[in-house]
Amino acid sequence: MDMKTVYVCNDNITGIFSGIYDAWRAGKTEADCEIAIRGMLDFQLFCDYVEVEESERKAMAVSALIRKHLGERAYGEIYHAVMSEDKGKGDAVLGTMLAARELADSTKIMDHLGHPKVEKVFELARNVFGEAHSYKGFLRFRELKNHVLYAEIAPKNQILTCLAPHFADRLPVENWMIHDRTHKMFAVHEAGKKWVIVWGDKFDDEKLKEVSEREEEYARLWAGFCQTIAIESRINPKCQRNNLPYRFRGDMVEFTMKADRMN
Amino acid sequence: MRIQEAMTMYEKLNILTDAAKYDVACTSSGTERKSDGTGIGSCELSGICHSFSADGRCISLLKILFTNECIYDCKYCVNRRSNDVARASFTPEEVCTLTMEFYRRNYIEGLFLSSGVLNSPDYTMELLYATLYRLRHEHHFQGYIHVKAIPGASQELIQRTGFLADRMSVNLELPTAESLKALAPHKTRRNILTPMRLVQNRMTENRYELKLYRNAPRFVPAGQSTQMIIGATPETDYQIMQVAEALYQKFELKRVFYSAFVHVNEDAALPARTGEGPPLLREHRLYQADWLLRYYHFQADELLSKENPNFNVVFDPKCNWALKHLEEFPVEVNRADYKMLLRVPGIGYKSAVRIVKARRLGLLDFADLKKIGVVLKRALYFITCNGRMMYPTKMDEDYITRNLLSAGEKLPKEVADMGYRQLSLFDDVRFGNGYEDSLCM
Repeated sequence: MDMKTVYVCNDNITGIFSGIYDAWRAGKTEADCEIAIRGMLDFQLFCDYVEVEESERKAMAVSALIRKHLGERAYGEIYHAVMSEDKGKGDAVLGTMLAARELADSTKIMDHLGHPKVEKVFELARNVFGEAHSYKGFLRFRELKNHVLYAEIAPKNQILTCLAPHFADRLPVENWMIHDRTHKMFAVHEAGKKWVIVWGDKFDDEKLKEVSEREEEYARLWAGFCQTIAIESRINPKCQRNNLPYRFRGDMVEFTMKADRMN
Repeated sequence: MRIQEAMTMYEKLNILTDAAKYDVACTSSGTERKSDGTGIGSCELSGICHSFSADGRCISLLKILFTNECIYDCKYCVNRRSNDVARASFTPEEVCTLTMEFYRRNYIEGLFLSSGVLNSPDYTMELLYATLYRLRHEHHFQGYIHVKAIPGASQELIQRTGFLADRMSVNLELPTAESLKALAPHKTRRNILTPMRLVQNRMTENRYELKLYRNAPRFVPAGQSTQMIIGATPETDYQIMQVAEALYQKFELKRVFYSAFVHVNEDAALPARTGEGPPLLREHRLYQADWLLRYYHFQADELLSKENPNFNVVFDPKCNWALKHLEEFPVEVNRADYKMLLRVPGIGYKSAVRIVKARRLGLLDFADLKKIGVVLKRALYFITCNGRMMYPTKMDEDYITRNLLSAGEKLPKEVADMGYRQLSLFDDVRFGNGYEDSLCM
């Protein structure tokens, strides 16, 4: 019996697509290989662990393969699934690609929800997309002294590449920056230019604390607005919590300001 | 003569938010717009919720009144002229600055501007128009704007405002003309329906203009909506649903909102205070039925009738319909047409679409349905997969009802401990707080 091969790759789109590239090239089937993420490994017996050599070229080849045979819609779902925090994501994507080969029309693959790997990609993508959508609303910018808009978030999945195009379209004339504390990433946008992703721990910390002159005033107006808009006879914290879980509130000024707010 | 001291922005916003909070709609959906790169703002088709207030309602738009001064004396309204409350008015520039600064910080998706009637409907509408004009053309704001059309304002003004807004709404206020006469003596049904019809006609013309010239200015692209107060007057759910259905069919409204009556004034014409709070469960049932009209191809007549004019308190309208029409069930998931799937309790419109797509690629089993998102503990009494039901089930109303209830059907707190037979006796009971469900529209 052949041993199962585990392809170990870095947790980003280049890494995972490179792993899929290697498995695909080696002609592996779902049963005899696995795509695993470095740092999320469960070591098993009777497995061959292979360190994937990641490269831009391999990743491009895989993304071209998916786009051509599975179509743009499936590519969108796969891309989002790869941004997930789930450790089985690489495996699910490879399984989906293999399953698509069995279909007469491989562009219909994402409708094939009866297949466990396809269903997993669908589920992961929905989850990532959902979190990104939440942050499109719940993210808060504050205006720094140099008029840069700065936001901090702590998402479970890597959603900066979903958020950046949204805010670039919405605030094209502003300089802004979004800090993802979980994944130590930044999305940076300079007015009139294209956004970029920067990896790193922090920027100049002191500068981020100094807010513009009127920042406090607008934050206070907003916090007051949020409090006044609620109808007393309908108060329902459980419903509020279902819609806006606590994990988001730490970075939302209308909740952090409440303690010392007003007067 | 009242002496007005200079107010801070904080106080003003507080007064005009407090006065606007009873307006239901806070949606920012229905229109998609990219920024043109010069100003700020864009719109997402699905709409975006930016926060949730302590009552669990979504905050998407900066929902304010332009002024809470009002020449009218509607009995249910906190801003009626006979009430002694602090009054304030914004200037157009103040509204613009607030909107822009809130929007930049991603606090909001846009502006929801309503107003009391100051001096005259035309005078007020002119102010709303001036505000929107400034916001769109001087501040280059491209985010979402929902504005109220003031009944009685000139057609010309309403039309011009409509070209600046994404959504317009005229409040129906109350479900029937008689109720309106009793509680809003200065408003008439005709006065309210006229601008509604105007907006509808102008939208139809605009669709034609856009076909001819792709870049023609867009008139109210996110459609028009309305709202009515529930529980201040004696209408039945059946009457209310018929009104809503007529509004959807004859006025092509995008949404009808229902607002559980909140006691803010003491007035002999209003229902007595009960201490139970607003009729939230009733409001919830109306929204559920509203969804059935808009997305599930149901008609008001199927859900209720003259003999049975109010919604069941225990089951949602769809489940209730299914229990009364057991002869149509069980349906075979692998063959039933889309519209029939929509009628199965536990299958939503999204899972129905997924079922139709997935079954082309192979027979579906109960496990597959679960993955697709079907709520099996409700659906299992009404479906078969490949000719088999999940468990042996008697197609009997009492049997299924008992089983649904013991499977932990979500019940309002007040009825959770009571027997089912006992319940159907007081269908029109008014429930207080404690019924929780998303009010985000």
